[in-house]
Amino acid sequence: MADAGAGRSRWAAPALGAGSVIAIFAALEILLKTGIVNRFIVPYPSAVLLSLERIIVEENVLGRVGETAFEMFFSCIAVILIGVPIGTALYRYRALRRAVEDWVAALAAAPLVLAFPLFLVLFGRSSLTIIVMSVITGLAPIIIKTTEGLAGVRPVLINVGKSLKMGDSQMFWKILIPAALPVIFSGIRLSWTFVLISVVGIEFLINLGGLGQLINDLAERYDLPGTYAAILFVVGVSVCFFMILERVETWLRPNP
Amino acid sequence: MAATEPVRPKAARSQGWTAGGPVSGRDTNLIRIGIVLGAAILWEGVSRSGWLFQDVVPSLLAIGAAIGKMLVNPAFYANLQVTAGEVFASLAIGGALGIFTGIALGSNRFLGAAFEPYVYYLAPTPRIIFFPVMIMWFGVGAASKIALGALSCFFTVALSTAGGMRGIDTVLIRVGKSFRATPWQMGMKIYLPAMRVPVLNGIRLGFGTAMVTALLAETKLSNQGLGYMIMQIYSRFDMPSLYALLIIVFIIAGAGNLILGRVTGTNA
Amino acid sequence: MNNAAANAAGDKAVPVMPAPAAEAQLVIDRVSKRFGEGPGAVVAVDDMSFDVMPGEFVACIGPSGCGKSTLFNIIGGLQEEYVGNVMIDKSRIAGPHAAVGMVFQEESTFPWRNVLDNVAFPLELQNVGQSERRDRAQKFISLVGLQGFEKRMPSELSGGMRQRVSIARTLVSGPRILLMDEPFAALDEQTRLLLGDKITQIQQELHQTTLLITHNLTEAVQLSDRIVVMTYRPGRVKRIVNIDLPRPRTSDVVSSPAFGKYVAEIWGDLREEATRGMEEAEAGAAARGKTARG
Repeated sequence: MADAGAGRSRWAAPALGAGSVIAIFAALEILLKTGIVNRFIVPYPSAVLLSLERIIVEENVLGRVGETAFEMFFSCIAVILIGVPIGTALYRYRALRRAVEDWVAALAAAPLVLAFPLFLVLFGRSSLTIIVMSVITGLAPIIIKTTEGLAGVRPVLINVGKSLKMGDSQMFWKILIPAALPVIFSGIRLSWTFVLISVVGIEFLINLGGLGQLINDLAERYDLPGTYAAILFVVGVSVCFFMILERVETWLRPNP
Repeated sequence: MAATEPVRPKAARSQGWTAGGPVSGRDTNLIRIGIVLGAAILWEGVSRSGWLFQDVVPSLLAIGAAIGKMLVNPAFYANLQVTAGEVFASLAIGGALGIFTGIALGSNRFLGAAFEPYVYYLAPTPRIIFFPVMIMWFGVGAASKIALGALSCFFTVALSTAGGMRGIDTVLIRVGKSFRATPWQMGMKIYLPAMRVPVLNGIRLGFGTAMVTALLAETKLSNQGLGYMIMQIYSRFDMPSLYALLIIVFIIAGAGNLILGRVTGTNA
Repeated sequence: MNNAAANAAGDKAVPVMPAPAAEAQLVIDRVSKRFGEGPGAVVAVDDMSFDVMPGEFVACIGPSGCGKSTLFNIIGGLQEEYVGNVMIDKSRIAGPHAAVGMVFQEESTFPWRNVLDNVAFPLELQNVGQSERRDRAQKFISLVGLQGFEKRMPSELSGGMRQRVSIARTLVSGPRILLMDEPFAALDEQTRLLLGDKITQIQQELHQTTLLITHNLTEAVQLSDRIVVMTYRPGRVKRIVNIDLPRPRTSDVVSSPAFGKYVAEIWGDLREEATRGMEEAEAGAAARGKTARG
């Protein structure tokens, strides 16, 4: 049903959203000026925006992004290389799936990141700690979604493969994987989101590496606008990361 | 059995991807026992072999003893109480705000289009990085952990409430209207029961995020709570106790999740 | 278009409910509805007129996309803005009317209520006391043949049973006009025929005035006293056919030669429209494909 209002609100809604964000910042600026909000707790929004530049130039943000990206890269690859085969095994061996499915689900809900002190002991304060911890955190969704995706392949497609006398590996690469790919990728997206949270979070917690450490450093120096600007920057980077993943996912999904 | 399907076993082998007779409960349990035993033997073997420092992979007996000791340690219960208090306060504050926001975003398409993208994209950002700000605002005590926990579960609850509101089968709303239900009746008899599952599921997930965030914040800066206790044990390099406490925390988290799942009728 | 209705009435086919002096229960009078404005506007319903007499079973049949559902929503009062008049008791419909009970095409039972509570739902809205609620709901549960399933949840029932729950739920509210939109669309052919029997039996038992919206020829002929054939986009009244098959009917009627004759006759009308609808849908898909690729 074509609604007459739809054309109007296409721009009105995002405008309201963005406008509200700007209005909140403007209001904050005024409240700070008048002293209603304490300047020693909340910096001027304008000062935060100005510090963005300072941070990028002086604090070697690009280098830090690189460091975080390096840890992300290895974690993300490892998550796929470990998670997809496990998910496939759980699909193929139903008894195994029945046996450990609940465990994997419990793993997904467990606060695994808390184990980071354990890995500090094992690997010291190094990137390896961050990577290993992040892989463990990100593994469950990809395993679950791989199994789910493969199990959800329409039986008729498998029957087509059988009727063409396809072998096991042909069946896997030419039918099962392509058919399950959208679901598997949604698992990848979830896993990579977990990985990002974990990488930045542990960087912050153990004060090592890229963007997470930046926030920690600035906070410890009590650089108020700097801390806020760095948080803003990290939030921005993560949002971009999610948006890209989401684009890829919609692109992979077959059009209805 | 063999008489009724004489060809089946051979055929099944070449159709590995779809192989499947029913799996018996006995097989499932055997596999589980096998995995647990295998892991235990491997662990104990590594521990005794001394390949890694013995401290890093302590004997299972040592871990077991540490768990026992932890469970009679009054400090553990004091810290557990602090953390539990923080988590429930977070859940109450963040959950209430989340449900309220979710209903606003889900019931009004315009508001949803204007503000939901912000909630949606901010939801998965690493929340722990807001901790310095929370310390500035609320101090180093429990309040900053509660605030951070509330912030974390707010997004989860808001998104699932909004989604649940929008996910209501529109035909059910039309049924209500066709019977001329009043707005109050629509809310109580249609919207509320239809949204129950996603909202409660959001609360369950929110509980998980609030707990992780509060615990992590405690490891970073605090003087009480289970997270603080973990860091204390870590600084003593008391590995058996570290394992013991982590195992206990995971079990508590799992149990909390399970109980909320049971209570709310949503699965993990 | 009023003359179409007049033609049909003057067709000399003896109406099944011969009450020449009776007032029509439901009057559809020059009803139109368009969506959108300008060149992109779609006229869903265009100047439709027909009546439904008390106790009569009328079916509206037309190809997919002919505006049937729009008409359903207008009569049910869910589509409040339209041109022309839908009259019940000399008052114009604008909003859900107590005299109209709707049965929807989609699965519409409440998944969180058992059969009894689903059926009792309208009584609950009217604050009917619990014991009376149970008695009245029970009566209609038996009427649709679901006695013994009162405590079951919808998820434990088959699609056909769930649709019967919906029908009972609507009947319990005591509508003077039962309005159904493709209530059997999601069901298989055999279930559909058997449910048709149930509907006929209920209609004969309650003398329930019914307007059925459907695209299914067999269903329409099996159940109706009169059939309003609609054109494809915009939806207009193409013809009104009196179905002069004996009552009481059962699904056995589908094997009679008279039944075949009616089906063939209406299919002749419908075929043109369905063909046109299919062509337009295909042209639309082709155009969409072009823009998607370009």
